Amino acid sequence: MNNLKQFKQMFLAQLKLTLREKQAWFWGIFFPVILMVIFMTIFGGRSNDDFSTKVAIVNESSNETSAVMAKQLRQIPIIEVSQKDPISEKKAKVLVKEKEVDAAIVLPESAKATSIKLIVNKENEQSVSTQVVAGVLNQFIQQANLQAVGAAPTFEQQFETISSGSSELEYTDFLLTGMIALSIAQGGLFGMVDLVDMRRKGLIKRLRMTPAKMGIFGLSDMVMRLLFSTIQIILLSLIGVFVFGANLFINFPSLLLVFLMGALSFNGIGYLISSFSNTNEAYMGVANIVSFLMMFVSGIFFPVETMPDWLQPVSNILPLTYFADGLRDSMVYNTSILSTPLWYGFCIMLLWGGIAFIIGSLLYKRKSIVSVR
Amino acid sequence: MNILEVRNLKKSFGSIQAVKDISFSVEEGEIFTIIGPNGAGKTTTLEMIEGLVTPDHGEIQFGELNWNKHTITIKKKIGVQPQSSAMFDLLSPEENLNLFATFYDKARSTEEILKLVNLTEHRVNQVKKLSGGQRQRLAIGLAMISDPDIVFLDEPTTGLDPQARRNVWEIILELKKLGKTTILTTHYMEEAEKLSDRVCIVDQGLVVTLDSPSALIEKLTNEREVRLSFLDGEKAAQDAELFASALDSVTRTEREGTALKLWTIKPEDLLFDLFKFTKDKEYQVEQVSIREMSLEDVFIAYTGKEWRD
Repeated sequence: MNNLKQFKQMFLAQLKLTLREKQAWFWGIFFPVILMVIFMTIFGGRSNDDFSTKVAIVNESSNETSAVMAKQLRQIPIIEVSQKDPISEKKAKVLVKEKEVDAAIVLPESAKATSIKLIVNKENEQSVSTQVVAGVLNQFIQQANLQAVGAAPTFEQQFETISSGSSELEYTDFLLTGMIALSIAQGGLFGMVDLVDMRRKGLIKRLRMTPAKMGIFGLSDMVMRLLFSTIQIILLSLIGVFVFGANLFINFPSLLLVFLMGALSFNGIGYLISSFSNTNEAYMGVANIVSFLMMFVSGIFFPVETMPDWLQPVSNILPLTYFADGLRDSMVYNTSILSTPLWYGFCIMLLWGGIAFIIGSLLYKRKSIVSVR
Repeated sequence: MNILEVRNLKKSFGSIQAVKDISFSVEEGEIFTIIGPNGAGKTTTLEMIEGLVTPDHGEIQFGELNWNKHTITIKKKIGVQPQSSAMFDLLSPEENLNLFATFYDKARSTEEILKLVNLTEHRVNQVKKLSGGQRQRLAIGLAMISDPDIVFLDEPTTGLDPQARRNVWEIILELKKLGKTTILTTHYMEEAEKLSDRVCIVDQGLVVTLDSPSALIEKLTNEREVRLSFLDGEKAAQDAELFASALDSVTRTEREGTALKLWTIKPEDLLFDLFKFTKDKEYQVEQVSIREMSLEDVFIAYTGKEWRD
């Protein structure tokens, strides 16, 4: 009963301390939000669904074949025809030169003519739109050829995308979950600076002089940190969903477990850093290096698969990789709590957090003997 | 009755022997002061008594209680104000006191403590906005929140201005009135002399001497310095010096113009004889003073060190 009262008062104190610490709000809430907004605005704007290329169609002497072809071209979804009516080749060349359009397609001049010409700007010869238009046009010509000889195609290509979950992972979702992982990880990595501060001011020693239960004090601190991280998750998710149109399919039991594992793991690492840092500056230096290194190799902003091969093994042992993946699985793919990869991730995170905590505790124990003159 | 008994404490950190052999006992209700030069082992001794540091050797008894068996009970009986007035800077004095109160089963009301340390006006300001003296008073308040029998104050007035120091002294004397036992360390001789019932001088990890301030001064020497100055010119002072040096009770004389300094073990007799002499000669004397020896003299005599604040 007394323990509960102590916990309540300690938690209240922690709550007030956090609310009054402006730094915590800046780095924990404001900074991740700004970072996410910047990244999403720069990289999240163009998604594959919206890809289209602007094309001008030249049909100088309209004939039966060209009219049919023009009609069919207009129906291809990624080809956006700039003019309603066909234009002259000369005019089209000007448009291409001035990059008003990505390409111009010159349709056959007569029903007998067999060439379809593609005009692109030399500068854009290797660009994605050129490749796409050329590819589409090539396919289109083949079909036309087949039709011309009256043969049905023997083979046809079928294309289907698959994803392990119920929805496709878009970059916005990828980045959103990555940012949530990053801000919770940083909360843990940077948050333990309080411990260094408390030790430096002699507050830990002061508390040890009272009959206060340090375990309860640590617990109230941890609960406060989890609460703070929950605010981060909710806020970032709301912005991701409502401002940038992210799609979330959340599996709550999985999310809860991923969240707890991640938060504990990074708080453990923060605890380890706090155990050997004598000043706030030293702590922040180490935490910054750790966070910076992890940020770029753990697939927060870009998938791990896009990184050089030699770097990928590094990503595969870092806890942040598994935390971000776990959050993606539980928030975007609605992955069940029974999934094996999820538990594999838990083990890695737990290993990091656990080992860091044990080493940290040992260092603290040694320090408590040495630090007293 | 002894409320605290310390026997043969020893503590080394690596090759440094911080406390070599310290023993003393503290009586209930007294203000017991430990003074000593920097690095004498004061803080280590206090931290061993407070249970923060385990001694390499020696015993610490709080009446029937000791740290090995009665950790929690002792923690409830003592109140500590550490040298670094450690508290939560982002909480107000009231919130700090309320939080510390929950650590104990019985606690005095926050209201009462705020009044005792005169912080009622600043109860809602965040601690980081308080002045040095106010912080120090709050630290004493935090030590008092559990209504402890023994209060440890580690340099409670270091770095405070004279007015703030006086405020802290009042609080310490108030604690004595409440029947509390206070164990104090200080950098200020004046403070030790004014507040303590007994003073323990520590140097190089050993107890050098232990007694009441007045007894310590008494022990040091019975000699007093008497100063006089004469209105009738150097001749009068010279005559008086000659007369005084002939007396048995005078050990040494020193004259500078019309000012005369005499050292004696019987200042009353000397003054009686001297005034008889000046009255006969009709010399006029002004500014007569007997300088008391201070605790500082005792300190210097025992430790051989100049006192530095």
